[in-house]
Amino acid sequence: MKQKTDVLQGTLALMVLKTLDVLGPLHGYGIARRIEQISGDLLAVNQGTLYPVLLKLENEGAIASEWGASENNRRARFYRLTREGRKQLQVERQGWEQTAAIMARFFKAKTEDLS
Amino acid sequence: MKSLRRFLYRLFNSAARHEHEERLREEIAEHIVLQTQENLRAGLPPIEARRRAMFKFGGVEAMKQDYRAERGLPIIENLLADLRNAIRTIFRMPGLATVIVLSLAIGIGVNTTILSWIQLILLEPLPAVGGASNFLVVEPHTDTGGYPGASWLEYRDLQTQLPALRDLVASEMVPFNVGEKGRTERTHGQLVSGNFFSALGLKPAIGRFIRPEEAERPGTEPVIVISYDYWQTRFRGAPEAVGQKLRVNERDLILIGVAPREFQGTMLPLKFELWVPATMAPALLGGTRDLEDRNSRGFSLIGMLRPGATREQAQAEFSTAMAQLARDYPEANAGIGGEILSFWKTPRGPQRMLISGLAILQGVMLLLLLAVCGNTANLMLARGSTRQHEMAVRVALGAGRWRIISLVLSENMLLALLGAVLGVALAVWGTTALRIAPMIGAFPIQFQTRVDGLTLAFAISLGIACGLIFSAAPAVQLARLDPQQGLRASSNTPPRSRARKVLMGAEVGVAMVVLIAAALFLQSFRSARQTDPRFRPEGVLLAAYDLSGRNPNEASEREFSTRLLERLRSLPDVEAAAIATNVPLDLHGIPARSFTVQGRVRTESGQDRAISNTVTPGYFKVMEIPLLAGHDFAEMADRTAPAQAIVNEEFVRRYLNGADAIGRRIQRRTESFVIVGVARNAVYNAFDEPPQPAMYFSYRDIPASEGEIHLRTRGGHETALASEARATLRDVDPMLPLYDVRTFSQHIERNLYLRRIPARMFVVLGPLLLGLAAIGIYAVVSYAVARRTREIGLRLAFGATSQRVVLQIIRENMGVIIYGTAIGWVLAFVISLHAITRGVINLPVFIGVPALLLGVTTLACWIPARRASRIDPMAALRHE
Repeated sequence: MKQKTDVLQGTLALMVLKTLDVLGPLHGYGIARRIEQISGDLLAVNQGTLYPVLLKLENEGAIASEWGASENNRRARFYRLTREGRKQLQVERQGWEQTAAIMARFFKAKTEDLS
Repeated sequence: MKSLRRFLYRLFNSAARHEHEERLREEIAEHIVLQTQENLRAGLPPIEARRRAMFKFGGVEAMKQDYRAERGLPIIENLLADLRNAIRTIFRMPGLATVIVLSLAIGIGVNTTILSWIQLILLEPLPAVGGASNFLVVEPHTDTGGYPGASWLEYRDLQTQLPALRDLVASEMVPFNVGEKGRTERTHGQLVSGNFFSALGLKPAIGRFIRPEEAERPGTEPVIVISYDYWQTRFRGAPEAVGQKLRVNERDLILIGVAPREFQGTMLPLKFELWVPATMAPALLGGTRDLEDRNSRGFSLIGMLRPGATREQAQAEFSTAMAQLARDYPEANAGIGGEILSFWKTPRGPQRMLISGLAILQGVMLLLLLAVCGNTANLMLARGSTRQHEMAVRVALGAGRWRIISLVLSENMLLALLGAVLGVALAVWGTTALRIAPMIGAFPIQFQTRVDGLTLAFAISLGIACGLIFSAAPAVQLARLDPQQGLRASSNTPPRSRARKVLMGAEVGVAMVVLIAAALFLQSFRSARQTDPRFRPEGVLLAAYDLSGRNPNEASEREFSTRLLERLRSLPDVEAAAIATNVPLDLHGIPARSFTVQGRVRTESGQDRAISNTVTPGYFKVMEIPLLAGHDFAEMADRTAPAQAIVNEEFVRRYLNGADAIGRRIQRRTESFVIVGVARNAVYNAFDEPPQPAMYFSYRDIPASEGEIHLRTRGGHETALASEARATLRDVDPMLPLYDVRTFSQHIERNLYLRRIPARMFVVLGPLLLGLAAIGIYAVVSYAVARRTREIGLRLAFGATSQRVVLQIIRENMGVIIYGTAIGWVLAFVISLHAITRGVINLPVFIGVPALLLGVTTLACWIPARRASRIDPMAALRHE
């Protein structure tokens, strides 16, 4: 149960970083929308889980935040990727791609390949 | 790196808690607004749009919890919360907290002070000398068990014959007269070997130290090193002091350096001010044969093991060397072997005696601290039980067992650490108060105890240990709590706690032992003070002189004391005057000498010994000791009378079976004395001693270079005689200082100083312990009574009288108290029988103390019991 959240949080963090990398500075809602659009139902409910992840990333120095004005001129917290975050994104992306490739190969493998 | 940064952020965030809470709230609000707008654009009605937005956002509280957990550090935050809670709890019980903190502080403070003494003696026996505990004492040891010291020549031989030791250092204590004619001052110093300072690893505060070559040949370099204090007081710390001349024993010595601040010589606890090369001895102490006479054993030797060498090796080498010396110089070294001892076992100084005393004291004090812990545990248990409801609520709301335990722990730890901090403050005060050097006898003494890292760590760990000890019981009790039970239990009678009762009984037992010990101690001290010394100290002035710096011989010594005595007797305010080598009730004691007496046939082997004091005629008049037979000594100028002795009653009883003593001869070594008088017994070394056999000899027959002047005033106050005595001595010899001037009463007070310290300690600790026991019992009983309000109400409602209720409660609790008292009493009885009074049992103490203890404990039971009996039955029954 706990591990599942960890995995979810890990992927969520990576998604946040990628989103900010692609779209530039964005507020929490914007990030949530973007992830929802791309990942489908991961954030269809419990959008709130995004905020602890944002805080964690900020504590790690991967992203920074400051107050700004949202589209409808309300005060909103804008997050942007730091240089360190960009580096982190790159490293984790490679890691993910590698893992994904291995997993994909693993699942594709038939029984006779393994014997 | 990343995790470190995250940790730091979180630590910081923990502090800036409110700001973040606010930020999150705003972000959530903004998020929901944006989502609602989105939904509106999708064509939903406003209420539905907002509802869906909220739904989509998910559980706000759960998320906030995650967010908070991410934001701060839960462990630290919990700890801080616990601490806050602990502070609040403690403020809610100021009285109880004060009692606990104060009793802990006293317990910890006293223990820390004692440890600092033990540390001083065992670990840092030489202030300012690093690693001094590694030094070994190298002592010649006679077959008869004495430690006569080493001679200079022996030291020079040993230097080359003990390869297992490096830096063998020799020193001899000597009194010096410092200053110009008529204004000399007696100051204690050490004659030292050339490697003294380098072996001790000391750095001069200013100037330089004695060089090895300056202590090679007799009478070479007239140099001197002074102590830091001496430099400060006599030279006001001026750097120009170095190079100046210092007049010592009528010789000019060149001041070459100042020892570091805390250095006080190598004979703890004596405080020396001057250090001179040993080779200066003949020049400074006229006619001394210290450097060439193997029988002149004034030096003490210390040394350190060479790396890799063992103590056994050193001991073997030392034994071999001493055996060789005994063969080479039989007249000086026959029957003298050698012993290598740890520094604190030195036969010169009170270390060995102090250590055993301190160890016992430390043990008793740790026991006391344990009693304090037991007491606190009891109080905490009582309080903990009343908090069952609170804890049940906490558990019901989801607090884990560990949270409850950490809550209880943090409260108790805070109390314990407060106690420890206060205890350290007490110890700092205590050690500095004890540092102030008392002058005991003619020697300045200084114990440089201090509170340093080790003692501090000791105090804090005592505090933590105490906290853990008295947290354990309540923490376990509360953590085991079943919330359902706890919430419901308030109206039920709680299970009787066995632990509390056992603790209560044990505490009373400990209190009993310590109180009896305290009472016995005080009694013996008080009775000692009230004992008639069998001489009259009131109205007597004492002062000392010392001719040893002046190359005296028997004739000049006799001549000097004759003249001085004559002058003193002629003083108008002096009723009687005398000189003696020893003063009774001195800290160092009067020496006992072996002798044979005519008409005494010894059946067993060994030798008769009696206290021996050399006095001038008139001594018995000054002391007001009546002569029961015979007469006083012949006058000093009398050249015809044979050598005389006066003995006391006990001497006659013990060695002459009460026969007539007058005219019999006493043989002391080669000299023979005829007994001319029998004096009444007096007190010699301690107030409570059994009668001691004593013999007095005359200055006329055995002149001495040192003397204690005794002056009995004609009526005025004896202190008024001081200036006259000083002037008289100056008339007789302008260079000689009069030192250690004091009244006989002061002399006695001063020498009771060491006995007073433990007596005072017990005076404070006795009532404290009684109070602690009473508080503990009071707490337990009042708690138990409070829990039984309903039951008591019922009893009262059914017609029990309040008297019956009180009696019942007292009876229930007194059982265990009486057990504790009885066990403590038996223990104290056994200890007293075997250790303290050796067979004599002090009945008033052994009856009075239990009576007092039982009285106080009964009162401690009665007060809460009476309060309980006053309960209005109706109120009590409605109460829950």
